[in-house]
This record gives sequence, structure tokens and C-alpha cells, in this order.
Amino acid sequence: MNKEERNIIKSDCNCSKTEINEIKSVVDEVISITGGEKEKVILILQEVQKRLNYVPSDALKYICEVSEITPGQISGVSTFYSQFRHLPVGRHTIKICTGTACHVKGSQLITESFQRELGIDDTHNMSEDSLFSIEEVACLGCCTLAPVIQIDGKTYGHVKPNMTGEIIKDFLSTHQGDKAVNEENNDQDTDAEVRIGLGSCCVAGGSRDILSNLIDTKESYNLKIRLKPVGCVGVCNQTPLLEIVTKDNINHRYTNVKKEQVEEILLKHIKPASFNKRLLHRLNDLADTFVSDEKSLSPVNLSKDVREKYLNNFLNLQLHLATMNSGIISPESFEEYRMLGGFNALEKTVAGIAPVEVINIVNNSGLRGRGGAGFPTGKKWKIFSEADGNPKYVVCNGDEGDPGAFMDRMLLESFPYRIIEGMLIAGFATGAQEGIFYIRAEYPLAVLRIRTALENCYKNRMLGQDSKYADFRFNITVFEGAGAFVCGEETALIASIEGKRGYPHFRPPYPVEKGYNGKPTLVNNVETLSLIPWILNNGSDSFSSIGTEKSKGTKVFALAGKVSKGGLIEVPMGTTIREIVENIGNGVGDGRSFKSVQIGGPSGGCIPASLSDTPVDFEQLTKLGAMMGSGGMVVLDDSDCMVDIAKYFLSFTHKQSCGKCTFCRVGTKQMLNILTLLSEGKASMADIDELERLSHDVKNGSLCGLGKTAPNPVLTGLQYFREEYEAHTRKICPAKKCRELIGYVITDNCTGCTKCYQECPVGAIEFKPYEKHKIDNAKCTKCDNCRIVCPENAVEIVNINEDKN
Amino acid sequence: MKIKIDNKEIDVRANQTILNVASEAGIHIPALCHKEGIEPYSSCMVCVVKDKKTNNFIPSCTAMIQDGMDIDASGEEVVYLRKKAVELLLIEHRAECEAPCRIVCPAGYNIPLMNRLLQAGKTEEAIELAVKEISTPRIVCSDCPGYCENACRRKKIDEPVSIRNIMLFVYSNIRRENESDPDNSQDASMQEENLTKKVTNHVRKRFSSRIGKLEQVEQKEWLKECLEDSTRIREITGFTVAGNEASNCMHCDCRAANDCRLRDVAVELNVKDPSGKLVNAPILKKISRSADLIFENAKCIKCGLCVRACEDNKDQPSLCFINRGFISIISEPLTEEFENIQKKKADIYIDVCPTGALTRFS
Repeated sequence: MNKEERNIIKSDCNCSKTEINEIKSVVDEVISITGGEKEKVILILQEVQKRLNYVPSDALKYICEVSEITPGQISGVSTFYSQFRHLPVGRHTIKICTGTACHVKGSQLITESFQRELGIDDTHNMSEDSLFSIEEVACLGCCTLAPVIQIDGKTYGHVKPNMTGEIIKDFLSTHQGDKAVNEENNDQDTDAEVRIGLGSCCVAGGSRDILSNLIDTKESYNLKIRLKPVGCVGVCNQTPLLEIVTKDNINHRYTNVKKEQVEEILLKHIKPASFNKRLLHRLNDLADTFVSDEKSLSPVNLSKDVREKYLNNFLNLQLHLATMNSGIISPESFEEYRMLGGFNALEKTVAGIAPVEVINIVNNSGLRGRGGAGFPTGKKWKIFSEADGNPKYVVCNGDEGDPGAFMDRMLLESFPYRIIEGMLIAGFATGAQEGIFYIRAEYPLAVLRIRTALENCYKNRMLGQDSKYADFRFNITVFEGAGAFVCGEETALIASIEGKRGYPHFRPPYPVEKGYNGKPTLVNNVETLSLIPWILNNGSDSFSSIGTEKSKGTKVFALAGKVSKGGLIEVPMGTTIREIVENIGNGVGDGRSFKSVQIGGPSGGCIPASLSDTPVDFEQLTKLGAMMGSGGMVVLDDSDCMVDIAKYFLSFTHKQSCGKCTFCRVGTKQMLNILTLLSEGKASMADIDELERLSHDVKNGSLCGLGKTAPNPVLTGLQYFREEYEAHTRKICPAKKCRELIGYVITDNCTGCTKCYQECPVGAIEFKPYEKHKIDNAKCTKCDNCRIVCPENAVEIVNINEDKN
Repeated sequence: MKIKIDNKEIDVRANQTILNVASEAGIHIPALCHKEGIEPYSSCMVCVVKDKKTNNFIPSCTAMIQDGMDIDASGEEVVYLRKKAVELLLIEHRAECEAPCRIVCPAGYNIPLMNRLLQAGKTEEAIELAVKEISTPRIVCSDCPGYCENACRRKKIDEPVSIRNIMLFVYSNIRRENESDPDNSQDASMQEENLTKKVTNHVRKRFSSRIGKLEQVEQKEWLKECLEDSTRIREITGFTVAGNEASNCMHCDCRAANDCRLRDVAVELNVKDPSGKLVNAPILKKISRSADLIFENAKCIKCGLCVRACEDNKDQPSLCFINRGFISIISEPLTEEFENIQKKKADIYIDVCPTGALTRFS
């Protein structure tokens, strides 16, 4: 999709008087809460949009009248960040994820299908009944459920193009009555603890339904159990995940739980309290065995070994430092974090380790920034601690914008206290007083969890002016990003906190010397901070004993794409790509072959399967032309086209480029154009050479990291898959992916069942019962519906130009 | 502090940019988005130099010197990257330095200027221009089929401007005024040939950016600068008539043709205008008659000098950037119309703009 989205500010809005009055009262209300300082502009716009569903021009004008914000600033900011809309939209927004994992699983087809279903096109983004609008978003961070869409808060995973009508129906029928789930206070004396994952992936997999069934079952049988919502377990592809820990401390885990199975699973492990209830259960059970064949296939009847075999494979190769206690700990509970040893590192540090010594420990541990570039954390802290300025700021960079990455979201959602602890230790060691969490707006749950956790920390006097630490006062606030990938770059991030357009600037000066408001500012990634407590607890030696020579410790990866079992994993540095893909991820799907793994998102590259014995560490990946990036790992199989992947990433970086420097603004567009021509079979070998030259120029000439790394997907593609690029100049797409070069045909396997005819949205297949069907390629939009529904696998994709060569 | 630029050892004060140090040492580094007295920004990347120690290419307008730096400011790689930067800027610079009529004119007559002068009723200056340009006894137009009118952009909308007849009319007025001049035909024709060649070469050889493909709606933007009436006066009988007909000229030439740093840099670095221009937005012309300002979006190179030149405050808003990335552009805040620009600020914008994006309308 190549449309340029343009924000429109109309000079005169055709709002009526009453609407203007409403707008004004909303703005007044918002500003009375937020304050009217210049740097509050993003917050004000967010709050106004929350209330009005969009930001009308009149609101912009009125904000300037009643606050310190200037017209130039508000025009610039409100059109820079993609979160802000200047035109009204439908009541519900269908967010279609276009992240890497979703892209390779066909998100574009989903968008088109929704557009058809709702009668929406590029010019008119609202369904006729004003109920729905479509928005393509960079990444919802539920990569293991790809392709994913989200309507308002509700997430649907594994969406197929022919399911869109049903999804809309389902949404309309359920969205009013989401069952309220009470998180209850449990008494101490229970038979078992039942843990259910409530990370975003689990929720998308239906864990809220499971939870509500758990509550029902608990009540109807009066079970003495403790229901406990936990954060991400990491086994995102197997969601929902249910774990029962009985009194004798034995864990029973169930994956892919369906809501009908809840009662059965519970009652297998926990006996109802009263005789009557027991009897009821027995009777029900007996009845079930007669009426249902499924009973014997139910997971309850599988032995523990079989049931958990895969889970163990998935978990055994991992080492959980940043994600310690995953699946056990309740994310929002302060007490539980304490009970499991949380804040020990902080207490120990504040009580008896000199700040300089803390920096030394971090330095000796060999920890390097997990945001991508891998700068030694201890060294950064040291420079920061020596910089002049007051106050000093510590910023946690949670603006994880890489499509195909969701590590930071998971960490923020599941271990908010650990990251807060890490930030506090950083603040103590470096003499900073203020902390800021910068979290992207697409992660509402992460924002919520951090806010709750911070509240609890203030309550327990870990933070604030009356903190229990005599010599250490620290404040933390939350800043929600507004949808700009470039703000992951630290200087752009700071500009954004200051209420400006997210333009990066040339470094030096580095933020550690001159950052937020001109004061020294330490920007650390979420994962970096979450490793700090472990290091302080276990010592620098134990951390540096893990990993490779130059890359120490563990790394969290978001494993997704064509791998059978994706999820959030944490492995020691130096684990090979093959171990991750084949052992943890259980390889690619049946009948497919592992082709490549995309590491590092838009800044990284595609490493071919032939090099998959490469150990994962900063230097090794850079040597191959990829990059650690923040840790997105998208596995590709032989049905993925490398030109298509490169085009996908370039269109992403091009869209997300801030537009400040020439090479990134124009260079990426030019590269994208060549890639588009290639994917349409309209480019020549000379164009490939030009593409390669241009890639090097953009790399050399761009101002910030975004532009400097944007050509990596192309350069690695050319390095390892050049023949595939060259095939496109002959109008052949070897992976049969590029739409302009392929066609759909029906083979002799066709039984004439007419299913394809029924599913075809454009009438390209004629109705011929019991005869072989035929696809009219002139009409075909390549929506893939026929191939999905064909029970005989008789629909094949072919290269339409193959015969001509 | 000691640094090396192009292998030249320089003793310098700290806290200076590489660009400053270089220019003090007499080493020229071209730059577009930078202007003395305005906060550096690093957008155009034309001032790029190479740090030989890190092998990084850095913008010299922002990069501060550090002790012991070794800078390559004019090596092959550096010049290549600068050329590339200018080329990329030109790819989105959908604009013409010279009007189509002038480019195709065998003699390279400055037709747009002639039209402007006639339209403004500046008869004497028009004749002066004719005298200067047509110093040959015979005007080239008399034997020319009128390439100019064929190329006239107005032709694509309705009818071309009667350029040839206007030129012939003005020329006939020189003849009358200079009737006493001797008409040495042999010498004159030689001279004419030479001069024609010279004039032609001068215009065609000088770097000129091309506009690329135009949509029909875009062509209509030029009508904002002229009479929309589609009737043409073919017979030019006097200066008033000539002026009226000249009012149909859409002024396709760039107002900053001789005051354009982008053009200068392109000439300096010997850059060719890239074929295949990229479209980031439809061409729009925004005119503020009260501030005597015209903004042509397709000429803007997003250097941000105008945005940075004036302080933005509530009572007198300054220009700002809107949108992001490839489609970002400068704009009047809260509206995209450029109607409420103050004259004082407009003058500053025009002064700092390195291209013809912001120019005097009159």
C-alpha cells in the first residue's frame, strides 16, 4: 500500500456554535488537569482526542488561546505524530497490525478484506453507518498471533481474509457486555493457586473469557482456590495458558485452553468442598461421557508428560533474568514482588554500596545497552554521573516501535516493579533525581501497569519526597508517546518529551551531557534496566559468566513469524540462531523450509539459514550486516520473498522518517521506488546496482540511527539473496509472493465443491458444480480466499511470467 | 586546540563548529540549510565532511571540533556524498530555474522578464532589456517558427501567450528609436551568428532544474499568477496592448533564478539534474499580496531556515513544519494558506530561503 497519509488542518472548520462550545469546554477541562505549559502539548492533544475522538482545528486554535502553546508548535506537533487525527472517524477503530510478523502472514489482505466489507477506501475512511474506521498501525506487539487486528480494546488473532465479516458481527454483539472480572481478595487457606496469563497476547487469545469461566466454576462449586492473573509467560503461541499449583506444590500446566474446558480442568485437580457439589460434578461428568466424543481427546485425559512436553522444550533452553518469575508473579502486586525478593537489590544498594561502586559493578558485569547499539551501560552511567547539571534525568525508553518486536511491552506489562527498581538503582548510582517512563501509546496495558506500580511505590515510600531512604529522593513520571518510530532515537525522544516535533539532532552533544531541558539525561532501554536488579543481587561475576566474550548476560527476543512456536524468550548471549529457531521455536511449519531469520527489525537484516549457526551477540550480528536491534526475531520460510521483505521494511522506515535530513527523507523514498519496481517486475539489473549504491549513500549520509540503519534490510538481502533480486528483473518471484508477478490457478484436484466460488469477493470464479473451476485472472484481486477454503488444496499460486522465459 | 582539515594543521579555539573553523582557514565547504546567526540544524547534509579517525561522515555545520580531529573536507568520497545530497534534493525539487519558453528560444531571450516588465508598464526597461539582449541588427524571432509559443505552459491549459509578436513589437520599437544606426549587413550577420550562439549556450549550458511531469490540476496553479482569460491578443499594436497580452504569462521562470543557493551548489559540484522527479505533494502556490510573498511548495528543500529565522510567539506566529517525513512541508500555523503573514517576517523568510520557495511576489 503506497498511499501517503496526510494530516489535514482546515483553516475553517464547519463546526456549529454548539460544537465549538463543547470543544472549548473540553479543552478547558483538559488544561485544568494537565496545565498549560509548552511541553504539555502532546499530553493535552492526547486528552482532547480521548474525549472528542479527534482533534478538530477549532480545538487547536483554542488550545493556543488558553495555554502557553504557540500556533506553530501545535501545528507542527499535531501533524508530526501519527496518533493525532484532524478529521472525525467512525465510533470504533479497527486497528490492523502491519508489523513484520503480520505482514508475512498477509496483513495486507486483511486490510483489503475489511475495506471491502465496510465499503471503505483510501479517500473515505468511515463505514456508511459511521461505526467503523480502519487504521493500519505499525505493530500491536502480538506477533505470535499474527495476523492481528484490534477493534477498540478487543484483539483478534490469527485473522484470515474470509473472517472479517464474522469479526465485525462478533465485535458488535459482544463489545457492550464485557464481563466484569473482579480480582478478589483471596483467603490464605486454599486448595490451589490457579494462574492465568493476562498479558496482551493471552488476552488476545481469549484469557479473559477463561478467567470469567474460572470465576463461574469457582462460585458454582464453591471451590477453595486462589485465582491469580499473571503477566506474560512467554509461550505466546499457546495462549491461553492455565497453570494450577496444588497444595502439595505440584504444577499442572495447560496450553491452548478453551473456555469449555475450564470446568473440567479445574475439577480434575480440585475437589469441590461439599458432598452435593461433588455429586453434581460426578453426574455432569457421567452425562458428558455419553454425549460427547471429545471427552477422550480433551487435554485433561493426556498424561502430564505429553501435555507439557512442548512447554518444557520451549522453556528449558532459556535463562530468565529479565523475565525472572515469568508466569508466577502477579504483575501489579507490590507485596508479591517484595515477597519474591524484589527491591532487595535496591535496599542493599541504598543501604551500603557507594554510588561509584554501583557503577563499577554494572561496568564489570559487561552489560551493554539492549536498545540496539550495545553501548556499555556502566560507561554510560559513569559519563552521566560526572556530567554537570541539576536536576539530572533518567529516562526509560519504552518506545518500542520495531515492527515484529514486543519484548519491552511484555517486560513493562509483566514486571513493572523490576524496571522501576532498575531505574531507582540507576538514579541512585548516578545522582539523578527525576525519572521518566517513555512508553508508546500503542501499549495501553503497559502504561496502566506502570502507573499502578508507581502508585504503589509512592504509597510504600520507595519514591517521592518522603521516601524512606534518608539520602535518596527520586520521582518518576510517565510520558506516553504519540506514535512516531523515530522517537526511539534518544535525541528525538527527548525532543518529544519537551513537546516538540520528534526530530533527532546530531550527537555530540550526547543526552548524558545535554539532554532534556538542556540537563544531563540518561536514556536506558527497558530491558537494560530490568537486568540491573539481577546484577546487583547476584554480582557482576555471575552476570559476566553468562554469554560471549563481548556480549554478556542474556537477551530477550520476540520470536515470531513462520516459526511453529513463537513467543517471548530469553536466552544466554551466544546461543545460536539455529538453537533458537529449531529447538525453542520447533522449526518452521510442515512442508516448508527455513529460509532466513530477520533480526533487528527495520534496522536489522535477514540472515540466511545457511548462517544460522552464528551465535547471537552484538559483534557477530553486526558482522553479518544485521543488528541486535531491540530483539525482534522474525523467522521466514521459503514462501517469503526477500524483495517483498525489503520493500516492507523500506516502506516502514520511509513512512516513519522524520523528514529532517535529505538522505533519509528522499533517499529512502527513492530506494522504496526501486524496490516497488522490482516487485512489479519493472526494474532492470542497472536498477539493482543503483539500489545498492543508494543504500550505501543513505547509510553514510543520514543524520541519525534510523536513516543510518534503514538500508540494512536491502543490503543484507543483496548480500545473501541476490539471485532472488535478479529473478525479479526477469519478472519472476521465486517465492511466489509479489502480487504483480503471480496468478492463481485451480489444478485437477478440484472436485467442483464450489467453495471457492462462494468465497470469491469479486466474482472471478464461475459457479460450476462438480466440474473443475477456473479463475479469471483479469478479475482476480489475489485475496487468497479461494486457496484458504479449498478442501482439496487445488488452488495453486504460479508465476505468470514463467513460461515466457 | 589543534585539528587537521585536509591535512592542514590548524590552531583553533574550542567550542566552534568544523564549518566555522574551515571557513576561517579558507577551506570552502558548501552548505544550504545553514546561515550565520541562525541555530544550526543539519538537514541538507551538503556540508558533510569525513572524520578520518572514526570514518564517519558528519555534518560540519553542527559538529563541534574536538582536539586532535582529522577532517577530510574535500576528498573524493566527501564530494561524492555532497553531490548525492544535492541530487536527492533536486529529485524532490519539482521546479524550473528557467521558463520553458526561454530554454527553447534559439537566442535564449529572457521572455519571462520581458513579459513582467511589459505587464508592469515599464516600457523603458523593456526596451532596455531588448537592446541588451538583441544587440544584433536582426531579431532571431523573424525567422523563428516560434518555439517559445509551442513550449509555453499556457498552451497546455488554453492558448499560448503571443510571445513572438510581443518580442517583434518591442524590437520594432528599438529599430525606430535607433534608426540612424548604420546597417552594415556583412559584418552584422557575422556578429549576429556569434552572438546568437553565445546567448544560446549561456542559457542552455547553465544548470537548470526541470519540473518533470505535471498533472493538469497542477498546471492550473500557475493561473494564480496571471489573467485567467483565455482570449489572446495576437496583434500587438502598442505597449498597452503588449502589456495586456503579457498579463497572460504564467511566469514559469523562477523568481530566484539568479539568487538560488541550490542552483549555485549544483553548479559548483557539477551535479546533473536527476531524471524522474519524486512527487511528495501536488504543486501549490500560496500568495500573500499584503506581505508581497509567494510560497511555492515544490521548490522547498525543507531546510527549515525560515522556521528557525523568526521566533515563534503567540501574537506573531512564524512559519512551522507540518506533517512528517517525505511529505513534511513548511506552512503557516493552523492554516495552510499563507494569508496572515506579516510583511516584516516575510522579508526575513525571503532573505533566508536558499531556493525560490519563498520569494517576493511582485
